[in-house]
Amino acid sequence: MFKKILIANRGEIACRVIKTARKMGIKTVAVYSEADKDALHVELADEGVCIGPAASKESYLSIDKIIAACKQTGAEAVHPGYGFLSENEEFSRRLEESGVIFIGPKHYSVAAMGDKIASKKLANEAKVNTIPGYNEAIGTPEQAVEIAKGIGYPVMIKASAGGGGKGLRVAFNDKECAEGFASCKNEAKNAFGDDRIFMEKYVLEPRHIEIQVLGDAHGNTVYLHERECSIQRRHQKVIEEAPSPFVDPAMRKAMGVQAVALAKAVNYQSAGTVEFVVGADKSFYFLEMNTRLQVEHPVTELITGLDLVEQMIRVAAGEKLSFKQEDIKINGWAMECRINAEDPFRGFLPSTGRLVKYIPPPEVDGVRVDTGVYEGGEISMFYDSMIAKLIVHADSRQQAILRMRSALNEFLIRGVASNVAFQAALMQHPRFVSGNFNTGLIAEEYPNGFNAADVPHDSPKMLVAVGAALMSAHLKRNTTISGQLRGHEYKPWTKLVAKINDDQAHRAKAKAVDGGWDVDVEGEMFAIRTDWQFGEFLYRGTINGEPLCMQVEQRGLVYRIFHWGMQIDAALMSERAFELLKLMPEKQAPDMSRFLLSPMPGLLTQVAVTVGQEVKAGEVVAKIEAMKMENVLKAERDCVVDQILAKPGESLAVDQVIVAFK
Amino acid sequence: MHDIITQLEEKRHRAAMGGGQKRIDAQHKKGKLTARERLELLLDPGSFEEWDMFKEHRCVDFGMELAEKIPGDGVVTGYGTINGRMVFVYAQDFTVFGGALSETHAEKICKIMDHAMKVGAPVIGLNDSGGARIQEGVAALGGYAEVFQRNVMASGVIPQISMIMGPSAGGAVYSPSMTDFIFMVKDSSYMFVTGPEVVKTVTHEEVTAEELGGAVMHTTKSGVADLAFENDVEALYMLRRFFNYLPLNNREKPPVRPSNDAPDRLDYSLDTLVPDNANKPYDIKELIIKTVDDCEFFELQPSYAKNMVIGFARMEGHTVGIVANQPMVLAGCLDIKSSIKAARFVRFCDAFNIPVITFVDVPGFMPGTAQEYGGIIKHGAKLLYAYAECTVPKVTVITRKAYGGAYDVMSPKHLRGDVNFAWPSAEIAVMGAKGAVEIIFRDDKNDPVKLAAREAEYKEKFANPFVAGARGFIDDVIQPHETRKRICRSLTMLRNKKIENPWRKHGNIPL
Repeated sequence: MFKKILIANRGEIACRVIKTARKMGIKTVAVYSEADKDALHVELADEGVCIGPAASKESYLSIDKIIAACKQTGAEAVHPGYGFLSENEEFSRRLEESGVIFIGPKHYSVAAMGDKIASKKLANEAKVNTIPGYNEAIGTPEQAVEIAKGIGYPVMIKASAGGGGKGLRVAFNDKECAEGFASCKNEAKNAFGDDRIFMEKYVLEPRHIEIQVLGDAHGNTVYLHERECSIQRRHQKVIEEAPSPFVDPAMRKAMGVQAVALAKAVNYQSAGTVEFVVGADKSFYFLEMNTRLQVEHPVTELITGLDLVEQMIRVAAGEKLSFKQEDIKINGWAMECRINAEDPFRGFLPSTGRLVKYIPPPEVDGVRVDTGVYEGGEISMFYDSMIAKLIVHADSRQQAILRMRSALNEFLIRGVASNVAFQAALMQHPRFVSGNFNTGLIAEEYPNGFNAADVPHDSPKMLVAVGAALMSAHLKRNTTISGQLRGHEYKPWTKLVAKINDDQAHRAKAKAVDGGWDVDVEGEMFAIRTDWQFGEFLYRGTINGEPLCMQVEQRGLVYRIFHWGMQIDAALMSERAFELLKLMPEKQAPDMSRFLLSPMPGLLTQVAVTVGQEVKAGEVVAKIEAMKMENVLKAERDCVVDQILAKPGESLAVDQVIVAFK
Repeated sequence: MHDIITQLEEKRHRAAMGGGQKRIDAQHKKGKLTARERLELLLDPGSFEEWDMFKEHRCVDFGMELAEKIPGDGVVTGYGTINGRMVFVYAQDFTVFGGALSETHAEKICKIMDHAMKVGAPVIGLNDSGGARIQEGVAALGGYAEVFQRNVMASGVIPQISMIMGPSAGGAVYSPSMTDFIFMVKDSSYMFVTGPEVVKTVTHEEVTAEELGGAVMHTTKSGVADLAFENDVEALYMLRRFFNYLPLNNREKPPVRPSNDAPDRLDYSLDTLVPDNANKPYDIKELIIKTVDDCEFFELQPSYAKNMVIGFARMEGHTVGIVANQPMVLAGCLDIKSSIKAARFVRFCDAFNIPVITFVDVPGFMPGTAQEYGGIIKHGAKLLYAYAECTVPKVTVITRKAYGGAYDVMSPKHLRGDVNFAWPSAEIAVMGAKGAVEIIFRDDKNDPVKLAAREAEYKEKFANPFVAGARGFIDDVIQPHETRKRICRSLTMLRNKKIENPWRKHGNIPL
């Protein structure tokens, strides 16, 4: 076995690999860019080597520097993690030449699977299902219909140069096929100047399901069952689970056997993943093979009990797999949520900055958190936006969902925006809960993006009860202030009115009891027991005997409470104050549609309009540079520029007004 | 006997109705509560003792002799408690003659102020008045001045707070302006010396009352007001919370409210607060919030001169005043506005025995003609004067830059700072290395290689806390994560601090 390995990666995956190496008694070397010098993976590793500036190209993607780091530290092998150099054929070859072992597949396997067309050909030869299609330019509509009949409807007609929705048609019968072919060809000719047209089977309600495979250098290859990865947003996986609620044992075996056949065809010696697109009729077709460890590998680990990183290291060290296909069982259900630094309420805009508060849920009772950051750390603009992976393991899918929901309640992130609320919303979405979904779920269910109103709460009164308990705790604390008039001390009121989100009002009565509060919300009783202290963001305890964890924050008069993906602002007051508040006129929120606001903090680089100019919808109004990216702000409707309120070169805050329209 | 009791009840009822139901409804329509409703929310339930309910005006001119005499004469006065602690209050009643100040109205205010001085309790004024009662002429003006004189006498003896909840124009603004804190309600309150009509005739500027003297203007542009609230209910609830920080008078220590937040709580996330790059900003409020009890910081003037942060918090239950440079805004430099903002706050803390904690990250004074023409010399000196004069416990933590004259201003050892800490990232120097080298080694200005070497040398020497430490200007270099613990211990040590300034009539602060 190796004595020392180097991890050519950063973030959570580097930390994850270090953990396993440590467990195996292997010393670890972290490499890091200048931006990462205080990163968690550097702290966890036994040694660290700085390999250059923040930009990945000059650090994590620099083969020379990583090989030099191996030499410098005497690392015998390199684990590439995922991304960066993990599927770079040159990297594994160069390592081999320098006498360093690549913990991953052989470079020829990587090369064979790196090319889409070649891999499909290989798959065909290995008798792996591939999407039926016609890969030569089709000449006439009649020929197209003929081919379509051979493939079986529905089919997708696509232009060679197609993209962005152009040059793409789906046909369900001969008529549509002939028409679609003609219009597609025409469109392709006009749009791209290239009218070559191909055709392939169109998979209805597609799911994305992948098979984990593992091979050693002694000819043994096994599959570790499937992962369901259909919950995606713009082709980015959001939630993964294992097993899939859609796959039955026969299908699992069929997919597994094909995946193993493909792996064997390229003499695959490591952990790898064969991706399939799966139709509603349970047909499945090979998409591609990922010749690396996947982000979502933990769900497989939890149901199989295998440590995939350990297996990869053992295989790389020349060991034989210590188990056979029949030994690999499915134990319970595992699920993973990717916790990303992005703001679901602002179109999933990436968010960077300092993690002012960061408390992931404790890793007990089937909860696992793979993370590469810490409180006070930084989500840098140079790398991907993943903060952590939250993984749960339970006996059944239903229990896994419940476990995930409560773990999400406990995931505290402040300073950068996160998608925790969105994940919580998905976890309770009926379509997700039913298990009956496909890759279109997010696009179909949230066509206009994600809004706070998309998350209903099972028990709004429960939120009121916690709000009342919080307010009562604050009032009770006021009785302890010094300098009160003897005999005329403050007695807090117990009857409260909770105004939720400036809207509904609920009556509550809170009674202090040992270790908490008994709160009566309009006849419904909530026994809250908690050791919560002022200033804590996590309100932990029990409510009517059930475990409770809410995120709470005092903001002026209101308590902001977050639970099960829902966030409310509760203003608590006395009955009299509520009566008087009702006399106050509702203040209209200012109409901001008249203004162009900065969607993020950044540098205003250009204002493309002048005062009095007529602007058409879609026209560029201003440009902002943030995270080294240029963001173009366009007019949402036709309008006339009234005022320009920010100057180029100015640093903008979120929601700062740039241009006012008439 | 029975008759007189009935008469009493009647009189009380009439007084309680102020200007009558119609005017009360009109007041509500404007989004304003009545004087008595406001006091109900401000004070502990049932604690209000009203005085001079039957007081009436004595004016006999311009029809006032014919007008109905409304008992109370447009202002409700008395005392009560906020969380059990005594406070004197007056609330002007806009439903009675538009809350206009008459001679008798002023007498009522003066009476409670005199009492407040006698017993040592704060005064809170809820202002909602159209101005002087013009029919009374000079009598009303005299009334104002009587109040002003008492404001001045009470200044530094008892805390005085003004909550502007309606108009406050002309002479009426000068009583609030001399109190310690001014709060306002958005959209329903305004303060100005001359109103929009006069402005239009004199300067031809067209401006609304809200633009000229609204809560938003005064909390962002003029700095006259300390906080702006959404409505009356929020304003009064927050005022109760604010009151918890203040001592009742200058002979008392500020109140203590025990906290379970451990004084030795460590926060390791602070170790990464200051970025490596000296030009990168960070939010000083994160340090404040993570240092004080229960993460509760009551910030004042949050939208004005944002390069300086001020406000109240607690350490081990005791009230403290916090003053901090904010690197997020203008790099945290000192300018006219921020100097005045902090100076006045430091003087309040000093007058009322509230220890001052200062967090320093200041690159210097803001350069430029705007500042010099505006008199930064004298305004900057205010803050210097305030810190130097201040005798309450002073604990200072330099987190990063403490450059030049600004170092001397921000509560250094030399201005009788009691405990002065520095983080390892602190740089105490006359100026940044680059600027310093360009001056000292002027002859090398065309030789970038040499200059860079000199710069590195200067950095090596001064870009650390140890030079200052070697001279004893810094008592200790502390780890960021132990900031709370070290400040708590320092404040405990200083609890019985006693020093006195020499006797004099009063100092001459550069006003």
